[in-house]
Amino acid sequence: MKFDLDAVFIEQGERESALARRVVAALPERVPVEYIADGREAARARVGADPFDAGKRRMVLMRRRAPFLMSCPAGSARFACCGYLVMVLASNCPMDCSYCFLQEFVADNPGFQVFSNYADSFDELERMIHSTPERHFRIGTGELADSLAFDTLTGLTRDLVGFFAARDTLTLELKTKTDEIENLLALDPRGRVLVSWTLSPEKVWRTCEHRTASPAARIAAARRVMDAGYRVAFHFDPMIAYDGAEHDYAELIDNVLDVIPAAQIGFFSIGGLRMTPALRAAARRRWPADPMLLGEDVLANDGRLRAFTPLRLKLYRILAERFARAGAKVPGYLCMESASVHERVFGVAPANPAATGERLALGQDLR
Amino acid sequence: MTRVASNRDDAIRALAAARHLPDSHRERWLALERRSRGAFLELAESLRLRTGQIVIALDLLGEIAVRENKSAADILTSPALARIAQRAGSAPSRARAFIEALRALRFPRLGEATARLEDAIGELRLPRGISIVLPRELGSDVLTIKFELSRASDLDRAMGVVTERRAAIARILAMLGGSDEV
Repeated sequence: MKFDLDAVFIEQGERESALARRVVAALPERVPVEYIADGREAARARVGADPFDAGKRRMVLMRRRAPFLMSCPAGSARFACCGYLVMVLASNCPMDCSYCFLQEFVADNPGFQVFSNYADSFDELERMIHSTPERHFRIGTGELADSLAFDTLTGLTRDLVGFFAARDTLTLELKTKTDEIENLLALDPRGRVLVSWTLSPEKVWRTCEHRTASPAARIAAARRVMDAGYRVAFHFDPMIAYDGAEHDYAELIDNVLDVIPAAQIGFFSIGGLRMTPALRAAARRRWPADPMLLGEDVLANDGRLRAFTPLRLKLYRILAERFARAGAKVPGYLCMESASVHERVFGVAPANPAATGERLALGQDLR
Repeated sequence: MTRVASNRDDAIRALAAARHLPDSHRERWLALERRSRGAFLELAESLRLRTGQIVIALDLLGEIAVRENKSAADILTSPALARIAQRAGSAPSRARAFIEALRALRFPRLGEATARLEDAIGELRLPRGISIVLPRELGSDVLTIKFELSRASDLDRAMGVVTERRAAIARILAMLGGSDEV
């Protein structure tokens, strides 16, 4: 176990679930386990002066009562989206990035929930495959949680990789800021699993990304899973427009390309730091001394604070050009940006979200 | 606490009460280190800052201080701000200039980019009735071209002016998209 836990709460009804058994067996003795009637109460509990942080160390194993599959919550008609489908197997994350949207998104529900009936998500996926057998989907578990954090405890990836490896029209994306890849290395993904790392320059990592693996450790982990047969991808998101960012992000890409051949990179995405005013207020309250939260951000017409447009787009272009010069066409897209911004950065507007999602799943060029 | 410090803090409390300053901002002011509390009090009194201006100034000062790793006192005594505090003019006009100067320190590259874009628009020498409007705080990549027309012939003229300056307008659009030094 690479992260600390103060306690584990298990819903009585899930006591005999495979997940609960695995977690209890692997848990260090010092972590107390409590059996409770309804996990939702433990998930909602606001403990201590910083309930969001406390929630990260209170794991709640419970049934998910809502569907597991959903469209990416970042999606909107005003953006040119990537067609990402989200599989919600957990909510909250043991790491603590100062810019993280979960500070607002799970503020009323801060317990670190892991859903013991996760195998029900496979039924949802089967139904989706049968209703549209000709389509390919990219499905990720890393939106409301990190895909690999605590995997040595929960073992979720063993079942996930097994399921996706056997289905030709599905691609699983495991998105992470950890180097917790031990379980993956023992599995055969059969080309159907992509592991992606969110990457930031060293300066952002040191300032903002508390309890995450270092950028160098993430890149090294990417190389190891690539050698083990996984596809890899990188998210430069959030990209923060601090003084010196141009140089640092370009250097970061060089560091990636030194270790991972461009032709082996499934795709890259870029997204500028964006925060609703409420999220910014929450983040500033929790991290008052973090200078990265104090860029030259202005209120954009989607109601989020973002680096002013010429600055943000200039940085996007620097990253995109760095990849373009790498000698292999690496598909790239922008997160939560309009079609016109895509066109300014990549020269052409992207396809519709469904087509983009399909091309990313298949590893095809987006343009 | 020394008598001087106590008097200064009392003066801050008195000013905060007189201006109905929100408690959060009064406490933020009192939490500044000694030199910064005093420097801001001096400025607030000499420029006769109003409540909203004190709130904005404390927010901007706090943010600049974290980003630049400087104390509020260091920022307030920087040449740009010190000039405003010492120059002639009415207190309200100096107060407005002070807030603008703080904003310029908080958003230096935005200020420079906006100035460059405004210069480029100025160089178009557009006739009366035609204007090019930048997005608010450069918050989007959309440029607005505005015609004020009363006759059909004005429309032909306006379209002609825009067509004639198409290349220059396209360059402004490209600048807005970050193809310029930012």
